[in-house]
Amino acid sequence: MAGFLREVYGIAYADLAFLKRNIVTTLISSLVSPILYLIAFGYGMRAGDTEAGVSYIAYVVPGIVAISSMTAGFSSTAQKILIQRLFHSSFDEMVLSSVRISSIVVGKSVIGMVRGLMGTSIMLAIGCLLTPELILSAPLILSVVFCCFTFALLGVMAGLLVDSTPTLNMVTSLVILPMTFMCGTLFSIDSLPDFAGKILWALPLTHSSQLIRSFALGHGLEWVSLLVLSIYAAAFFAIDHYIIRNQKY
Amino acid sequence: MEGIIVADGIVKRFGDLVAVDNVSLSIKKGEIFGFLGPNGAGKTTTIRMLTTMSRPDSGTVRISGKDVYGDYRSARQSIGVIQQLNSLEKDITVRENIKHHALMKGIPSKEIKGRTEEMTEVMGLGDHLDKLVRNLSGGWKKRASIVCSIIHRPRILFMDEPTAGLDTQSRNALWKLIRKLNASGTTIFMTTHYISEAEALCDRVGIVNKGKLVALGTKEDLKKTVGRFAVESVDAAGDTEVRYFENRTDAKGYSDGIDDGRSVTIRAVSLEDVFLELTGRRI
Ligand SMILES: Nc1ncnc2c1ncn2[C@@H]1O[C@H](COP(=O)(O)OP(=O)(O)OP(=O)(O)O)[C@@H](O)[C@H]1O
Ligand SMILES: [Mg+2]
Repeated sequence: MAGFLREVYGIAYADLAFLKRNIVTTLISSLVSPILYLIAFGYGMRAGDTEAGVSYIAYVVPGIVAISSMTAGFSSTAQKILIQRLFHSSFDEMVLSSVRISSIVVGKSVIGMVRGLMGTSIMLAIGCLLTPELILSAPLILSVVFCCFTFALLGVMAGLLVDSTPTLNMVTSLVILPMTFMCGTLFSIDSLPDFAGKILWALPLTHSSQLIRSFALGHGLEWVSLLVLSIYAAAFFAIDHYIIRNQKY
Repeated sequence: MEGIIVADGIVKRFGDLVAVDNVSLSIKKGEIFGFLGPNGAGKTTTIRMLTTMSRPDSGTVRISGKDVYGDYRSARQSIGVIQQLNSLEKDITVRENIKHHALMKGIPSKEIKGRTEEMTEVMGLGDHLDKLVRNLSGGWKKRASIVCSIIHRPRILFMDEPTAGLDTQSRNALWKLIRKLNASGTTIFMTTHYISEAEALCDRVGIVNKGKLVALGTKEDLKKTVGRFAVESVDAAGDTEVRYFENRTDAKGYSDGIDDGRSVTIRAVSLEDVFLELTGRRI
C-alpha cells in the first residue's frame, strides 16, 4: 500500500507542481462557473422558490457542487493526459517508469480530485453561509472527493482515447454538458416525463448530486447512489487499466 | 549465452505501412550497439517496441531473458530510455522533472537530492535547475532529459539520436558520459545519424532500411563486406562515383587509370560506404 501511494504521488507530482506554480489563476478559473450558476439559478431564476421540500438555494448549491466536481474532475484530467500524450510525449515516460498500471490510473486522477475540491469547497462554504439548511460534514467532503475521482477516471479514459483537442471538446459537449443541466442538479428529475427520468436516473451525475445533496441537507447516506456511482467508478477504472495495459491509446 | 536484449522477428504496421519488418536482434551485455538508418527507416519504432512503449504486431522481445510484455515492470526497472522527441514536462522546472522521474522510478526520497546534485554536476545543469523546461534551449532540454532517464541507474540505456542538434561541446560531453556509463557496465543501444558517432562509440552496428535489418555485425565485419579501400572520383559537376577494392594496389591501379580530369582520392572504407552500398543513399 505504501508503495502504491508513493507511485501515485510520483505520477501526480508533475501535475501538482504545475498547479502549485499556477495556483491563483487556477483558483479564479475554477470558481467562476459555480458562482455564475449560483447567481443565475439561485438568485436570478428561482429566488424564493422551493424544490423537493427545501429552499431552492439549499437545493441548488449541492447540485452546483456536483457539477463542479464533475467538470473539474473530468476536464483537468482529460486535458492533462491529452497534452502529455500528444504534445509533450511525456505520457510514455510514466509508462516507462515501471510503476503499476493502477498507480498511473489513480495518479493521473489526483489532479482532477484536487481541482474539484478547490472549486467545490469554496462553493460549499458559500452555501453554508447563505442558508442554515446546508450542513458541512466529513461524509459530505468525502462524497465530493469520490465524485471528483469518478469523473477524473472518466477523464483519464477520454484523455487516452481522444486524438485531438477538438475531439475532446466534442466529447465534453456531448457527454459532460448535457449531464450538467439534466441530472437533477438544477431541478429535480421528477419534474420530467417518466421515460426521460428513467434515462437520466442511469447517468452518474444524477447519483453524484443525490449523494452530495443528501449529506448536505443532513439526510444521511443515499445508499443506492453510492452504489451506482461505485459501479461507474469501478467500470471506468477497469477500462482505463485495460487501455493502458494493452496500449490501446 | 543469450543476449541481454533479444528481439525475435518483431513487426510493426501502421495501416499498410510495415514500419518494422521482421527484425531480429541480440544485444550483448556490456556492449555499445549502434542502430543506423535513414529517416523513416524504423529506428524509433524499433526502440519503442524494445522498451515496452509499443507492442509489436508479432514477434517477441526479451530483456534479461524475460518477455517484456509479460513481466513489464521488471523490464522497465532495468532500462532507461532517452527518447528522440523531448519528453519532459514543459511547464515545470528541470528540478521538478527530475523529482517526478525519481519518484516514479521508486528512488527513496532521501536519495533524490543527492542523485540530483550528482547528475546535474555531471551534465553541467546547475544554473538551469530552477528554470521552466520550456524556456531552455534544445541542448539543455536534452541534457535535462538525459538526467531524468538515467536517474535510476539503469543497466540498459536506450538512446534515440541522443546527439542530434547538440553543439560540439555538448556532443563531446555526451560521448564522454556514454563511455563512462558503458565502462561501469551499462549496456547501450543507440540510434544515430552520424556515422562518425557510430565509428567512434559503437562496438557493433545494425543498419536498418525501410523497416528491414539489412546488416548486423562489428564495424570491421561490415566494412569487409564492401572492401578495404575506396576510390572516390568527383567530376566537374560535383557528381561522385565510388569504387571499392580489396587491396591498395588494385585501388591505385584503378585511380591511375582515371585520366578524364576527375579529381580522385583513395581512402579506407568507412561505415558510410557500407551504408551507401546497402541503402543506396547517404545517411
Ligand atoms: N504512430 C505512427 N502512425 C503512423 N505511422 C507511423 C507512426 N510512427 C511511425 N510511423 C511511420 O513509420 C515509419 C518509421 O518511423 P520511425 O519513426 O521509426 O523512423 P526513424 O527511423 O526513427 O526515422 P528518423 O530518423 O526520422 O527518426 C515512418 O514511415 C513513419 O512515418
Ligand atoms: Mg526516429
